[in-house]
Amino acid sequence: MPSRVFVALRVKATPLRAFTVFTEEISVWWRPNALFNFTPRSPGLMAFEEDERGRRLVEQLPGGKVFEVGRVSVWEPGARLAFGWRQATFSPDQWTEVEVTFQAVGEETRVSVTHTGWDSVPGEHVAKHGFPEMLFMRRHGEWWQTLLSAMETRL
Amino acid sequence: MDAARVDAVLSALADPHRRRVVELLGRRPHRAGELAQALGLTPPAMSRHLRALRQAGLTEETHPDFDARVRVYQLRPEPMAYLKDWLEETERLWIQQLSAFKAHIERD
Repeated sequence: MPSRVFVALRVKATPLRAFTVFTEEISVWWRPNALFNFTPRSPGLMAFEEDERGRRLVEQLPGGKVFEVGRVSVWEPGARLAFGWRQATFSPDQWTEVEVTFQAVGEETRVSVTHTGWDSVPGEHVAKHGFPEMLFMRRHGEWWQTLLSAMETRL
Repeated sequence: MDAARVDAVLSALADPHRRRVVELLGRRPHRAGELAQALGLTPPAMSRHLRALRQAGLTEETHPDFDARVRVYQLRPEPMAYLKDWLEETERLWIQQLSAFKAHIERD
């Protein structure tokens, strides 16, 4: 039973180009998924945008409203990207985090996504970026562990 | 799969006492009194937590044949299966997204 979701594939592009297309053209390549609608008004257009507090991933909804999916915590063009992931139905203590890495493999790039769906985020990562949500993540890590061991005994 | 149901389960499990109850019930069914004692909670506090778990569909109540007044709590397997589904769906989501990303970036 995995406690995190990990998916990777190779694309024919340099890591920098892969990063740029991933972030700048997300409105074009992202596929709406009914199970993972961010809000009841979804789907809209996904976009990474900058504001006074830094960067964030948003969904621009059809009615003109903007839903913040999560703040960007890591932005290293050509290497690494991390952002929060919340859906409108989440309760305040629910929090997930997505990390995307871009690694050169010969002429291609291996793009890996790790969605620590309900898992804890490593401590140094939390400290480095000063997430106020740290407590929530800790709690999540704890209960997810409990949940997983409870599940293991039942599956 | 019902996402709202998953949210209800996750929300019920956000509390450390309730997680402990799930852990205990994962070993064997317990009576309410045993749970209250194990967690060091008063009976009213214990019944609030048990209600939350029951409403989230995590646990169910039964009575032993010999005494209808005694309530025994046990885990229901379905919500755990929901969570397993949820992880699988999340994996499917990212396979779909990365494939779409690959098709897009390799198009030009």
